Amino acid sequence: MTPSPPSSPASSPVPPRGRPRPVLALVAANLRRLSRDRVGLFFMVIMPFVSIVFIGMALGGGTSGSSRLPLGVVAAGTDPVSAAVVDELERRPDLTVTRMGGEAELRSGVREGSLAAGVVVTPGSSRVRLIMTQMNGSGMAARSAVDAAVNRVAAVLEATRAATAAGASPTRAAELVRRAQAESGRVAVTATTAATGDPRGFAYTAPANLLLFTFINSMAVASALVESRRIGILQRALTAPVRRRSVLLGEVLTRFLVAAAQAALIIVISAVAFGVTWGDPAAVAAVVAAFSLVATGAAVLVGALLRSPDQAPAIGPPIGVVLGMLGGCLWPRESSGAIINAAGHLFPHAWGMDALLALERPGAGVAAVLPQLAVLTGMAVLVLGGALVVFGRTTRAAS
Amino acid sequence: MSAATHAPEATGTRTDAETAGAVPALACAGLSKRYGDVVAVDDVGFSVAPGQAYGLLGPNGAGKTTTISMLVGLVRPDTGTVRVGGTDLAADPITAKARIGYVPQEIALYPELTGRENLRFFGRLYGLPRRELTGRIAEVLGLVGLADRADAKLGTYSGGMKRRINIGAALLHRPEVLILDEPTVGVDPHSRKAILDGVERLVADGMALLYTSHYMEEIERVCDRAAIIDHGRIIADGTHQELISLVGAADTVELVLDGEVDAAFARLRAVEGVIEAVRTGPSSVRLIAEGGRYLLPALITAVEGGATVTATQVVEPDLEATFLHLTGSSLRD
Repeated sequence: MTPSPPSSPASSPVPPRGRPRPVLALVAANLRRLSRDRVGLFFMVIMPFVSIVFIGMALGGGTSGSSRLPLGVVAAGTDPVSAAVVDELERRPDLTVTRMGGEAELRSGVREGSLAAGVVVTPGSSRVRLIMTQMNGSGMAARSAVDAAVNRVAAVLEATRAATAAGASPTRAAELVRRAQAESGRVAVTATTAATGDPRGFAYTAPANLLLFTFINSMAVASALVESRRIGILQRALTAPVRRRSVLLGEVLTRFLVAAAQAALIIVISAVAFGVTWGDPAAVAAVVAAFSLVATGAAVLVGALLRSPDQAPAIGPPIGVVLGMLGGCLWPRESSGAIINAAGHLFPHAWGMDALLALERPGAGVAAVLPQLAVLTGMAVLVLGGALVVFGRTTRAAS
Repeated sequence: MSAATHAPEATGTRTDAETAGAVPALACAGLSKRYGDVVAVDDVGFSVAPGQAYGLLGPNGAGKTTTISMLVGLVRPDTGTVRVGGTDLAADPITAKARIGYVPQEIALYPELTGRENLRFFGRLYGLPRRELTGRIAEVLGLVGLADRADAKLGTYSGGMKRRINIGAALLHRPEVLILDEPTVGVDPHSRKAILDGVERLVADGMALLYTSHYMEEIERVCDRAAIIDHGRIIADGTHQELISLVGAADTVELVLDGEVDAAFARLRAVEGVIEAVRTGPSSVRLIAEGGRYLLPALITAVEGGATVTATQVVEPDLEATFLHLTGSSLRD
């Protein structure tokens, strides 16, 4: 220690004391520590988007409406039915129709993946042949679009036949059907978007990866909490003029902010870069907050139970990945069995997926996800409450 | 720096406090703590006046750290009271703890943060007013001599530099009592000197100090009074002279032996006039003996046959001798 500066006799013997700010002190210090953790930041900032992009593309890229599925069409004839089918397909907002020279070319396009599916319209036949590879998300999506288009043509044919049978002249019948078509066109929007089943592409992988990475990274970067315990800084903090609960709150709030920031980052980037529509902001915020609290509980539990900081990044991902698998965060739940999906609902991820996917549907608000929100909140209370008990005990025991 | 808080007029107050037995900076009485069947601390009590440096000496496991943990509010005593500047720690922990600057034995600092950032953390924790914080951190950095390395990460510091920040973190809030638990473990001689100089200056400026160390010479240099603690109890307490006089006329005799050291050690213990004997190395022995210098011929004769004495040294009574005499063990074993 170097010579101390000359003392000023004018200063008061009792120094002015401010209010201890333990929560601010702990949160600020912990966030600054995280900002120096390059590996942790890589997994928080880069990895989720790598995963969203790759899995999203594998599941048939793009959100519904924002990008179109390539569909090849072979239609040799020029008869009204063929023309009507091709016309309907071209009018679909989710398809890009490419005319192909022949069926062989169409098949190779589908096989190579440059086409999501192919359609062969045979003149004079009432059948349309669909060509697609099996087990392919974009093929399935194209199929439902083709089904819808063909059904519309079929409906027109059926209506025309009915009008003619009722005594109308062919011209009069066509006129009636055109008018009816215009009417139904207006309601068609709601009719087609009310599709059941989970969305595809980024609309599925964005919420899936939000849940997956929020949970995994919360646990992984909780290594900092293990380190704080190990080096005795929490013990030392308790010798300051602060209450034990303030120190616990400072650590818990840090973990919650980390989880919430991870979720917010994924929401914003996926909305801006991939056009994901998350739905009602308040409802999404409520679901994400409840899930982040569960992740916070898991992180505090990791911080309280592990002995070495290196264990956290080793334990977090395996647990997070298994829960993510069960909850449908790694692949579409449609491809998992009923048993796996039921087991998944023992853990927060499946409930989070239910809620976030429900909110993506137009018009869905908090009311649509109240059950999921209640379950997630209950899980948060249990996990975080238990974690706090364990954490409080371990910081005391080390003293 | 703490001179700013304990200004010249405080010097008068201190003298009054000492002479009149007024409010001690730190006082404990009847402190006991047991863990299951193990009694860690048994009826420990002492008091430290403002501007006084008090040493706590004891071998490992003697109960020093448990005692300190009770003084700083980390461990609740089974019985006994702790008063800091007259405030009961159990009744009003927030006020009492605000007066203490505690430096734990381990480096309890964030390795990923810089020295300055670590001090900022503790400044906020102790509630330094926002406006003062930056200036006060710079002041403490100057005091511990690390102003030029303040913005490097703590992980890049030497052991001595970490120790100095560790101490600085406890000084930010201008405590009335500084509690140092083994502050010089694992530091280079330069840092050790800097730490001791700094601590002496703080005491001279009016701060009360409780100091534990394995290094007897540090206690002798820094502290006016000391307590020797063993098996959870204070077995002696007083000024240096009072403690040393407990040994009476006994001297310390250091012997280096060659040959069958074990057998020789047993024979040395039995020599009349030898009060205590302890092995200090594979071939070295330390004895406390009445009139040690006159006993040398008898000692040399005692080991003959199995071993030979290759070097001898007789040391006048000191605190280390007292410690050895009272506890029967060496401090640094």
